[in-house]
Amino acid sequence: MRIKALDLMAKDLRLVFSDGAGIVQPVLLGLILVFVFSLSTPVGEEVSAQAAAAIFWLATSFAVILVFNTLYSLEGANQARIGLLLAPIPVQYIWIGKALSGLVLLLAAQLFFLPAIVVFLGQDEMHSWPAALGSIMLVNWGLVAVGSLLGAMSQGHSARDSLLSVVVFPLLVPVLLAGISMGAYFFGDGSGEDLGGWLGLVLAFNALFTGAALLLFPFIYGEY
Amino acid sequence: MNVNNSITLSPAGALALAGGLSLALAQYFIWIYAPVEATMGLVQKIFYLHLPVAWWGLICFFIVFCASIGFLLRRSPGMDQLAVSAAEIGLLYSTLALATGSLWARVSWNTWWTWDPRLSTALIMWFIYAGYLVLRQSIENRRKMRMVAAVLGVVAFLNVPLVFLSARMWRSIHPAVFAAEEGGLEPEMLITVIVCVAALGLLTAGLLLFRFRQRNMQDRVRDLYIQ
Repeated sequence: MRIKALDLMAKDLRLVFSDGAGIVQPVLLGLILVFVFSLSTPVGEEVSAQAAAAIFWLATSFAVILVFNTLYSLEGANQARIGLLLAPIPVQYIWIGKALSGLVLLLAAQLFFLPAIVVFLGQDEMHSWPAALGSIMLVNWGLVAVGSLLGAMSQGHSARDSLLSVVVFPLLVPVLLAGISMGAYFFGDGSGEDLGGWLGLVLAFNALFTGAALLLFPFIYGEY
Repeated sequence: MNVNNSITLSPAGALALAGGLSLALAQYFIWIYAPVEATMGLVQKIFYLHLPVAWWGLICFFIVFCASIGFLLRRSPGMDQLAVSAAEIGLLYSTLALATGSLWARVSWNTWWTWDPRLSTALIMWFIYAGYLVLRQSIENRRKMRMVAAVLGVVAFLNVPLVFLSARMWRSIHPAVFAAEEGGLEPEMLITVIVCVAALGLLTAGLLLFRFRQRNMQDRVRDLYIQ
């Protein structure tokens, strides 16, 4: 059964990368955001580590919306959604498959965002790369847990991007705050933030929303 | 010809009337019984509205949470109507709490808004439940709308403890209202707060029942029209 979720992920990723639009759009939007925010400081002044981290996670948040709308619209054509629902697997595996696909796409987008933060916002020093990447992975898991749960919600709606943004962004605030604080710690000199506390908050958020998603996803991804 | 001149009050009406009268009584406590705060003066009286609306707003959101779980378990339209009624009242109270808090902040902290985590939390909750109501308006399939709204009603409230937690971790300049050691309330102020909270509670219960009945009737009329 576990393999089935990976099969779903592989199917989604093949479809997304076959035309590339599903990943190019969030990458471009994120890069534009980073560039535009680089104009917010006068010439010669440095962007603070906290501001840089906030811009990084803002770009990532928009990527979450676009990525999950793409992933859930894959089954929009030809009623393929019904086929997925008829598959002999628990519905929760669809959530897991979509979450894993979303995580891969989000990481792919962040591969572009991080260098952009270095180039446009002058954050060329990173305090402990492995720990920073670990914290990004943890925050990403929280983002995809919520994104995969609620991404299915706006399908079939003409304004699904804006609808999903309105609902998902406020829910993500605790984990984004944690991401920004940990980002400020790693972009900065590695001081001034309660790293352990924020890590605990992210873990709690991830556990809570992963559990909630496993329970609640069947209600959202039913046949209506 | 028999004419029935007796006036009957529905439970909602009785609660609303009791709430209105208690709020009138609360004015005595606010303006006469409770002392004027030494540093902030009369502006501190905002607190007697701010705290009850903030608390009852949160309780309304808790009702959304419980009713949403009830709907998911029993698929009863009544639970959905209770959830949306509570969300509307909770959103109204949150708006009042944010507005009165902002007035307080201007006098107390010399700013209309500061990124104090508790203020941010209130605003985040406001955004979430505003999104909840927007979502309900946006989905035409009523069965899907009710199901999705119930899921959102559950996950939205799950956010609250995390936001409170983040409030402690972030820098906070919010006053400790019921601090055990220092910075707490004078006994007269505490009694006034309790009276205001109770009065608004009665009004909230009345409003909630009214809105619930309205939504029930709205659904019945819509169903009649469809038939």
